[in-house]
Amino acid sequence: MTQATTTAGAPAAPGGGRKIGIDPITRLEGHGKIEIFLDGKGDVSRAFMQVPELRGFERFAQGRLAEDMPQITSRICGVCPTAHHMAATKALDDLYQVEPPPAGKAIRELVYNAFMAEDHALHFYFLGGPDFVVGPQAPAAERNILGVIAKVGTETGKTVIAMRRRLRELIAIAGGKVIHPVLGLPGGVAKPIKPEEQKQFQVLAADAVKFAQFTLQVFEDVVLKNPEYVKLITSDTFTHRTHYMGMVDDQDRPNFYDGKLKVVTPEGKEIARFAARQYLDFVAEHVEPWSYMKFCYLKPVGWKGFTEGAESGIYAVAPLARLNVASGMATPLAQQAYEKMYQVLGGKPVHHTLGNHWARVIELLYATERLQEIAADPVLVDKNVRTLPTVKPSEGIGVVEAPRGTLIHHYKTDERGVITMANLIVATQGNAARMAMGVEKAAKGLISGKQVSDGLLNMVEMAFRAYDPCLGCATHSLLGEMPLEVTIRGPEGEVVRVVRRD
Amino acid sequence: MAADRSDARVVIVGLGNPLLTDDAVGVRAAEQLAERLAGTSVDVVQSAWGGMRFVDLLAGYDRAVIVDAIEWRKGPPGTIYRLTPDEAIPTLRAVSYHDVSLGTAMALGRTLDIPLPAEIVFFAVEAQETRAFGEQLTPAVEAALPELVRRVEAQLMQWKVLGVPTCTKPALPST
Repeated sequence: MTQATTTAGAPAAPGGGRKIGIDPITRLEGHGKIEIFLDGKGDVSRAFMQVPELRGFERFAQGRLAEDMPQITSRICGVCPTAHHMAATKALDDLYQVEPPPAGKAIRELVYNAFMAEDHALHFYFLGGPDFVVGPQAPAAERNILGVIAKVGTETGKTVIAMRRRLRELIAIAGGKVIHPVLGLPGGVAKPIKPEEQKQFQVLAADAVKFAQFTLQVFEDVVLKNPEYVKLITSDTFTHRTHYMGMVDDQDRPNFYDGKLKVVTPEGKEIARFAARQYLDFVAEHVEPWSYMKFCYLKPVGWKGFTEGAESGIYAVAPLARLNVASGMATPLAQQAYEKMYQVLGGKPVHHTLGNHWARVIELLYATERLQEIAADPVLVDKNVRTLPTVKPSEGIGVVEAPRGTLIHHYKTDERGVITMANLIVATQGNAARMAMGVEKAAKGLISGKQVSDGLLNMVEMAFRAYDPCLGCATHSLLGEMPLEVTIRGPEGEVVRVVRRD
Repeated sequence: MAADRSDARVVIVGLGNPLLTDDAVGVRAAEQLAERLAGTSVDVVQSAWGGMRFVDLLAGYDRAVIVDAIEWRKGPPGTIYRLTPDEAIPTLRAVSYHDVSLGTAMALGRTLDIPLPAEIVFFAVEAQETRAFGEQLTPAVEAALPELVRRVEAQLMQWKVLGVPTCTKPALPST
C-alpha cells in the first residue's frame, strides 16, 4: 500500500536534490517500490528498490509441529508453494536423520522438476517473453502475453496453456493440490505412484521435452536472430560482475532437488562447495535502513557495500547463476543449449543479467528431460516410498533450488518435534544486492541531465524482472502489469513531470 | 451477459493467503460459502492468486463471484466493496508481479477460445492487517464476514441461481 510518495526508512534526497518515485499503483498494498534520487545537475545519485516487510514468521512457526512445516510454508507464497514444500520436507529429513527410499526420492524429484518446468514456462511466455518476443521498445499495451501470442500464434498459445495444465495435473496426481501439496513427509512421500500413472507421466514428459525444445527455438528465432536484442542482453547497463551460487550434483551439474551448494568468483573460480548444514558458515545477511529486504552476502568474503568484483561478497542465484557455477548440464539436449549460450555470450561466467532469460529456457529443457528420465525409471512405482523416523529431533536444514534460486529452510525443535526456531533464506534475498545494483545502474543509464527517457519504466523493471524476484516470499508483490508512475520533482518538491503507464 | 437461468454455471472464488491475517478473508468466506451452498449447483474454490490462474479457475463457467481482501483505505476495515472488471481491480490477490491481470487473463481466454464467464463480480473487503503472520482475522474484518457471505448469496439470488427465501407469514394460533 502506498500512502505517500515517501517510504519510512528511505533516506532524504542527497543534497536536497529531486526524487523520482517509480510507484506501481498508489492503492495497493505491499509492492516493491523504486525511489530514484537526482543530484543538483539532474543526474541520478542513488536509486533504491524497497520492499515492505512481512512480520512475525518465526513467532508464528514457534510451537507448531515441525511435521506441519511443509504444509505451512507452502502457504507462505502462492507463487512457489512446491519449492517451500520441498525445502521444508528436506529439512524434516535432516531433522529426523532419515533418507527417503529410492522411490520416495524419485517421486519427489519427479514432482519438483514438473514444478520447475511449469514455473519457468510461465515466466518465459508471460513475464520475460513480452520484453523479448514482443520487444523492449513496444508499447506497454502490447508487451504482455497477448502480444507474445500475436507473434507466436494462437496454436502455440494453446500449447503453452495446455502444457502448464498437464504439468500441474501431474503435480496434483503425485502430490495432492498444486497450491497446497501434501506430498512430502520426513523420510519420503505420502503415497506411491501407480503403474498406470507412470505411463501417463511418460507420455507427458515426452511432450514436455518437445515443448521445451520448441520454446528454445522461439528464443533463438526471436531473440538471438535479432542483433538489437543481443546488444541489449550484453549491454553494460544490465551487466554486473559478481559471485554466483547454485546447487550441483556430484558431477558438477545443476540439480534442483539435491546436491552441494557451489560458489564461484566473478572470474569463475570455485571458492566454496558446502552442504546445506554448513550454510551459516558461508551466507550472512546485511541490513540497510531503506529496505526491509535482508541482503545476503558471502560471509568469507564479507560485505563491502553495493560493489562488484571478487572483493565484494555480493553473489547471485537463479538460472544464470546455476549455469555459471556448473561444468555442464546433466541431460543431452540441455547440454547442447548450454554450450551454445556460453559460446554466444563469450564464455563463463556470463555476467549479463538478461542472460537469465536464456538460462531459464535451458533449465526448462533440462527439467523436462529429467522428468522424462525419472518417468522412465522402474523404481518410480516401487511401493516402498518412506523410511520411518526413529531418532529424536533437534535441528534440521533443507535446501532446494527454487525457480528463482537457492532456498534454505532451517528449523530447531524440542525433542517432541515442536518448533523452537525457524529461519528461511529465500532466493530473492540471494539476488537482492545485485538487483539493487541493477536498478541503480539502469536508472543511471537512462536518466541524465534532467532528461528522463520514456523507456525508463520498462528498462528499470527489466533490470529486476530478469530475476523474477519472489517478493511474495517476503511480502506481497504487485508490480508486473500494474500501472507505473514516475514522478519527477524539482528541488522544492514541485512536480516537474509525470511519466505514467496505465 | 449471461441469461438469468437456474442452470447457469456459477463459481465462487475465494482469494487470499490464509496465513496473513486479513488476507485470509476471501478464503474464510469461501469456506463458509462452500458449507452453506453444499448441494446447490454453485462451485466454491479457493486460490492463493488470481492472475493467469483465473483462466483455469473460471473456464467453463457462465458467471463468477470473486472474494478478496483489499487495502484501499476508502472506508474503515471491514468495509465491503462491490467491483466489476470494468473498473481496475486493485484487490490483494487478483494479480501478482509474477502474473497477468484479470483483464489480460480474460483477453487471453477469448483469444484462445477458452470459455470464460460473461459476468464477474468482485467483493473486496477492506483489510486492516495483511503483513503479519496470523490465522485470525482482525475483529473488524471478522465482524464483516456474515455480511460478506450474505452479499455473495444475494448476488446469487439476483442471478436466480439461488432461490430467494420466501417470507412466510407466522402461523396463526389455532383456535
